[in-house]
Amino acid sequence: MTTSTTAPVLSIRGLTTTFPGPRGEIVIVDDVSLDVGRGETLAVVGESGSGKTMTFHSALGLVPSPGRVVAGQVLLDGADLLRLSPRELRQRRGAEIAIVFQDPLTALNPVFTIGDQIGEVLRAHTRLSRAASRRRAIETLERVHIPDPHRRVDDFPHQFSGGMRQRALIAMAIALEPKILVADEPTTALDVTVQAQVLELLAGLKRETGMGLVLITHDLGVVARHANRVAVMYAGRVMEQGTAERVFENPRHPYTLSLFRSIPHLDTPAGIDLTPIEGVPPNPALLPPGCAFEPRCFLAGGRDVCSARRPALTPSDVPEHLSRCWHWTELAADRSPS
Amino acid sequence: MSAEEGATDLTVAPSAWRQLAGSLRDHLRHPGLAVGTGLLGVLFVVALIAPWIAPYPPLKTNMSNTLAPISGAHWLGTDQFGRDVLSRILLGTQVSLQVAFAVVALSLTAGTLIGAIAGFAGGWIERITLVIIDILLAFPGFLFALALVAARGSSLESVIIAVAIAFTPRVAAVMRSVVLTIKPRPFIESSRAIGMSEWRVLWRHVIPNALPPVIVVATVSAATAILAEAGLSFLGLGVQPPTPTWGNIIADGNALITTNPWISLSAGFCIAIAVIAFNLLGDGLRDTLDPQMKRQTGRGLL
Amino acid sequence: MLGYLGRCLAHLLVTVAGIVTVAFFLMRAIPGDPAQYMLGDYATQESLAALRAQLGLDRSLAEQYLLFVARALSGDLGTSVATGQPALVEVIDSLPASLALAFAGILVAVVLGVPSGIAAAVRQGTWLDVVIMLVALGGISFPVFWLGLAAILIFAHKLAVFPALGSSSDGGWITALHHLTLPALVLGFSVAAYIARLTRSAMLEVLNQDYVRVARAMGIPDRRVVYRLALRNALVPILAVIGVTFAWSLGNAILIEAVFSRPGVGSTMLKAILARDYQLVQAGVLALATGVVLTNTVLDILYGVIDPRLRAA
Repeated sequence: MTTSTTAPVLSIRGLTTTFPGPRGEIVIVDDVSLDVGRGETLAVVGESGSGKTMTFHSALGLVPSPGRVVAGQVLLDGADLLRLSPRELRQRRGAEIAIVFQDPLTALNPVFTIGDQIGEVLRAHTRLSRAASRRRAIETLERVHIPDPHRRVDDFPHQFSGGMRQRALIAMAIALEPKILVADEPTTALDVTVQAQVLELLAGLKRETGMGLVLITHDLGVVARHANRVAVMYAGRVMEQGTAERVFENPRHPYTLSLFRSIPHLDTPAGIDLTPIEGVPPNPALLPPGCAFEPRCFLAGGRDVCSARRPALTPSDVPEHLSRCWHWTELAADRSPS
Repeated sequence: MSAEEGATDLTVAPSAWRQLAGSLRDHLRHPGLAVGTGLLGVLFVVALIAPWIAPYPPLKTNMSNTLAPISGAHWLGTDQFGRDVLSRILLGTQVSLQVAFAVVALSLTAGTLIGAIAGFAGGWIERITLVIIDILLAFPGFLFALALVAARGSSLESVIIAVAIAFTPRVAAVMRSVVLTIKPRPFIESSRAIGMSEWRVLWRHVIPNALPPVIVVATVSAATAILAEAGLSFLGLGVQPPTPTWGNIIADGNALITTNPWISLSAGFCIAIAVIAFNLLGDGLRDTLDPQMKRQTGRGLL
Repeated sequence: MLGYLGRCLAHLLVTVAGIVTVAFFLMRAIPGDPAQYMLGDYATQESLAALRAQLGLDRSLAEQYLLFVARALSGDLGTSVATGQPALVEVIDSLPASLALAFAGILVAVVLGVPSGIAAAVRQGTWLDVVIMLVALGGISFPVFWLGLAAILIFAHKLAVFPALGSSSDGGWITALHHLTLPALVLGFSVAAYIARLTRSAMLEVLNQDYVRVARAMGIPDRRVVYRLALRNALVPILAVIGVTFAWSLGNAILIEAVFSRPGVGSTMLKAILARDYQLVQAGVLALATGVVLTNTVLDILYGVIDPRLRAA
């Protein structure tokens, strides 16, 4: 796999989102910067609650009240989504950047046909007639490999299986050929064989249209097979970012390494024993002043710098492989690349 | 409560009462709940001490001072028989609260039992009960109460019984639907597994856990019971004169609405205050006890 | 859809049969002798015996019930003691005035209640929401007959824009409408309060669903999300509460009609109750309950049209 070298289509810079808490603002998305290029797949990995989904909801102006985006830029082809008028933002959502939501069971409107729901998206952004948008809906269903789309276009969601609902959601998202497609845990709710089909579908669509794909997932197997680049998130912060090969071969953050060790998978680097990550997932209201991962980190070992000072996301052994760890060099020494 | 929480607690049913007490403590900050409770407390005290705080004997007529305007001596004036309107209104609190509490007690007991048994037993018992509930709900509640009062004769007991019968199927319907959501929980299964009798499971586990939503319905029925009593008394079919009730005070003032509007208006405000108190309490309990039930109870409360 | 329709109609038949039964036993709820009750304390033995025979009270309960059902099926609900007219005819004659009031009231209620409930939900937590919900709380808490009195006081006596009483039947439809306006507004306001509260909570629930977030994420304009995509989901509970308020309006028509001195089923029944004209009361209760069940059936069919999942179940 190759990494795109052209300018990124989507560039998130320093995005920060907070929710009011009983003792001041709670930072849910903390200074997140990510880039996605044309035809590239970026995987965003992390435990649930790590801010993966909220990052992209923030980018699209979908943060539920009372949360708000307090800093950052979201550049889509150079235009900052956060500075656009509500109307201009709406016109880009769904047309230039689209999200496939997590749970296909609840993400489709139960009282409208699949065709109606795709048609709504088309007609929100184009001047297509009813008949024309219906034809487009059928074509789109065909592209996501729904069998017999002429008939199924008039079905209601409850007449679709889980995998077909996920395809229908993807159809809604790609109906206008967006430049960026964000797929939020696209396979979590599906069984294994359907998972593979859906991922294959997304990869195929990416090849056809050249869109940039963001895969939000906690499935490292998916990451290994489909991603060009990986960003690992923890407690709302990007902990490590780099090409998939580098992050898998030479993780430069102890959290990434712990993730690999905790998840049984064929792609787990050989020779590593399975060990659960110690401690409890972070409470965003009670983060330590230093590194967010310090309380659970095997590398920190009570060192003052870890608990007192917050590390920055800085280049590790190669410029495009970033790590937010004071002691990443120890990982490099520990497991030197073969 | 989530399935996981239930699963960790297999044989001991979480106590609905502890939950209730806990949420009452936590959520007295809920403005509706606090205002509703406060208003009800005031009304309750007024009802208890009404005979002593009423400035005049509420039944005493004074034909030389009829239709007196609002004054220092008669804060709300006097009616066409020279009776002090304020004293009558204060005493009227008793009837309204009596009706509210009695109706709730009766319909809650009967409705909870019927609904619980229907939902818990399932099968033909449930189906027949549901059909009966449906049929009874087809009768407009107020009309049904009216016909029953007409058949039994007008008295406080008649009013209470009629309104309670009109409400029982509503409580039963809610109880049954709540029991259906409790039945599949693991602690019911395990109680049976350790050999508890069906009645004991019903009594110890199903009813206590289903109570919070039913209490909300009961609170709202108290509000509607007050309105129903007032309506019956207004039509002259409720509690009979000379006993003052808010409804018959409005009826007395009806003919005088142009000259002495305060007779009817003030009694109406009292009804509204009592009903608002119960409604605020009901809304507050709904928000604090069981946020998920907002929709379930929307129907069938009228 | 046909199966669903069949189930709705079967349910209708069972319920109507049940209503007839309840109406029959309502009569038996009279303690002692209904004939005595109807004729009063000074009735002669002959007239009592005659009425008992007419009511079938000299037969066994089972016979009485079968006779009642058979007569009810042929549209015979007994005879009004007061007027000597068939009870059903009396009820049907008084229906139009009540139906006009109920429909006008519900029209007002839907026009006021649904939009304000939606507005409160969409603007949840703002002053608009607070004001709408406070007004609605007042609307469900003041007795409807008291609202009627207050309206008469303000609009008929102080402002003199509407007539206080009656429902002129001889002045043509403009006069009739003029007489209908105030009672319909009072009934409508009261019902609107219930509808607004339920619409708000139904809308809030729908607006929190994933598919609403999906629609917004796809760039569908907010207005369209609220008024088309979300509203149709909230429509089933909203229609349900409108159905319930229809029953409520019929039941409370008696109070409105009393306050405004309007003719109608309510005032006919009130007169019948006061005159102990029990067969007329029975006929009225039966007719109104059947009306409610018919409305509910129409609504059930509508739910099926709106929500495809119900058709399939």
